[in-house]
Amino acid sequence: MEKKSGIIYDGYPSREEIVTANGWPSEERFAKGPIAIAECVQEIPCNPCEAACPFHAIKIGTPITNTPRIEEDTCTGCGSCIAACSGLAIFVVDKTYSKTEALISFPFEYLPLPEKGDEVEALSRGGEYVCQGTVVRVMNPKRNDHTPVVTLAVPKEHVDHVRTMKRLVLPKPGKGFEPVEPQGVLDDDVIVCRCEEITAGEVRDAIRNKKATTVTEVKRRCRAGMGLCQGRTCGKLVSRILSEELGSAPDTLVGSTDRPPVRPTTFGELAGIKKEV
Amino acid sequence: MSQIFDVAVIGAGSIGTSCAYYNAKKGARVVLIDAGDIADSTSSRSDGNILVCDKQPGFDAIFAKASQDMFPKLENELEYKIEWTQKGSLYLTETEEEFEIASKFCSDMKECGIQMRMMDHQEVLDDEPYLAKDVYGGLETISDGSVYPIGLAYGFALAAERLGCVLSLHNPVTGIQKEEDYFMIQCKNGDILAKNIVNACGVRAPFIGKMVGLDIPIQARQGQILVSEQTFRVARRKVHEFGYMLTKFQSGSYERPVSERVKRNEVAFVFEPTASNNFLIGSSRSFVGEDIRSEIDVMQALAERAIRFFPVIADIKVIRAYSGLRPFTPDHMPIVSDTPVKGFYIAAGHEGDGIGLSPITGTCMADMIAGDKTFMDLSLLSFQRFCS
Repeated sequence: MEKKSGIIYDGYPSREEIVTANGWPSEERFAKGPIAIAECVQEIPCNPCEAACPFHAIKIGTPITNTPRIEEDTCTGCGSCIAACSGLAIFVVDKTYSKTEALISFPFEYLPLPEKGDEVEALSRGGEYVCQGTVVRVMNPKRNDHTPVVTLAVPKEHVDHVRTMKRLVLPKPGKGFEPVEPQGVLDDDVIVCRCEEITAGEVRDAIRNKKATTVTEVKRRCRAGMGLCQGRTCGKLVSRILSEELGSAPDTLVGSTDRPPVRPTTFGELAGIKKEV
Repeated sequence: MSQIFDVAVIGAGSIGTSCAYYNAKKGARVVLIDAGDIADSTSSRSDGNILVCDKQPGFDAIFAKASQDMFPKLENELEYKIEWTQKGSLYLTETEEEFEIASKFCSDMKECGIQMRMMDHQEVLDDEPYLAKDVYGGLETISDGSVYPIGLAYGFALAAERLGCVLSLHNPVTGIQKEEDYFMIQCKNGDILAKNIVNACGVRAPFIGKMVGLDIPIQARQGQILVSEQTFRVARRKVHEFGYMLTKFQSGSYERPVSERVKRNEVAFVFEPTASNNFLIGSSRSFVGEDIRSEIDVMQALAERAIRFFPVIADIKVIRAYSGLRPFTPDHMPIVSDTPVKGFYIAAGHEGDGIGLSPITGTCMADMIAGDKTFMDLSLLSFQRFCS
């Protein structure tokens, strides 16, 4: 059987998917200087890139699930969109860097960061080794909100394939990821349960003033976890706040009760009068 | 020697928290004990309807109305958002025969002072535009309302605490010893002494009753509910089918024209909009011990029956199913009563009405314990009726 490729098979988009969903700059445009390329092929309700572009070159429009299109005549390749994309799916390519080399700029959220001049291993969208690259720039201003942008110089023929670099320090074999130590407590106005828009302050109120001691008890008092996702997103955050407030280890806290359905399903499907699509 | 409380209420559901509050309000030193949290069992697995429409004409209806009349002031009194709304309720009738039964019921209820009126086909459709076009008619009850049931129990418990009541939660009772003029209640966290006990343990009331040698005939009657996503206003208030009365009281010879699946699960359509723009769909009834798992056959029957009355529901999503246990007594009336064991009281067995009947139950229990006259004769609720 022919091997299928694409985001649902590989975890990263194929060239065809990108061209269909986002378009691809023309060779004439590449010849003029740096340009942003969106590689965002899934219809996700997300549009920060549209607002991030100071030249209004990125278009999503309505509905918000449209995939982004970048106008090649308007885009200056400034790179403001790279760190604004929460999906880490926008890159800037500059094929005019030198006769033999081109630049690729990508978001890079792994510590330690490389330094200018470093020789690093340039990787493809799928994380496979492509070639060596030289770090030209590392940008990490406050407005990037902890998403540094690294620019590599790579041989021109590889620039359409390189999309990241190998991490400088990998986890020890068999060790996996280190647990992340929370940096202090969440502010009271941070939204913990997105479905019901419940803040950390409201969760604390349920614990401090209304005697909640478990995730379920918090839920019953302030609705955190009662929404569409049924606590799949906020359950861990509520546990963390509970553990901070009560001084008990997170693994000793009783989680929320799991109830059917596993995911929302219509009354019609449940009654068997409508086929699931 | 530790202190002796005037009243120990065992069970912190809507009934127990209400008993604690009204006893504390009368000046009693109260302790409220529960094996778990406030509203941990039936009161957090219920709907929030405060109804008189589903009571039997006579004492049942008058007792429920007295309780319902307490709700409008409760939110201010308890200083807690219990989400009380009062928009009335609507019964739907499917057939002419059902409409006739409902008409008789309506006139009997009016004689007890309950405001109700029959609505014809067009009136019902005008009232709820999304209704199935073939619904025969309806019956409106003017005074019905709803609350957030969990909030109600918190409101009672926290208000009781402000009046000096001690909340002893997550503290299971393991035994009760009767001393000369007080009880020694053995709990996980130590003994608690009290002159009086109110057994407000709902479906677990028989378990506590056994500790003092009483055989309380309460059984768990399970009910399942589906919760919708937040959506548009399908119906503006509580809507249910009149057939609900027939499944609740297992009475009459009228057979609803329903599928096998609806029939075997004793499903009767109940729609309740919530303050959070979801709605709840009930109802089912079965005796399955203390099993509170959701059963797919019941969930399917609930969805089927809901779509029969509101076809538009077919495209709305279910986000959660849950199940709770109603404390059922053989004659469908609660036990709000003293017992042959002096100082030991029972406030339990409200089946599906515990939320609605909680304020009046707590009030009556406080009056009884203080030796005051209750607002009406409660012999129909006495424990004695089961001791022959």
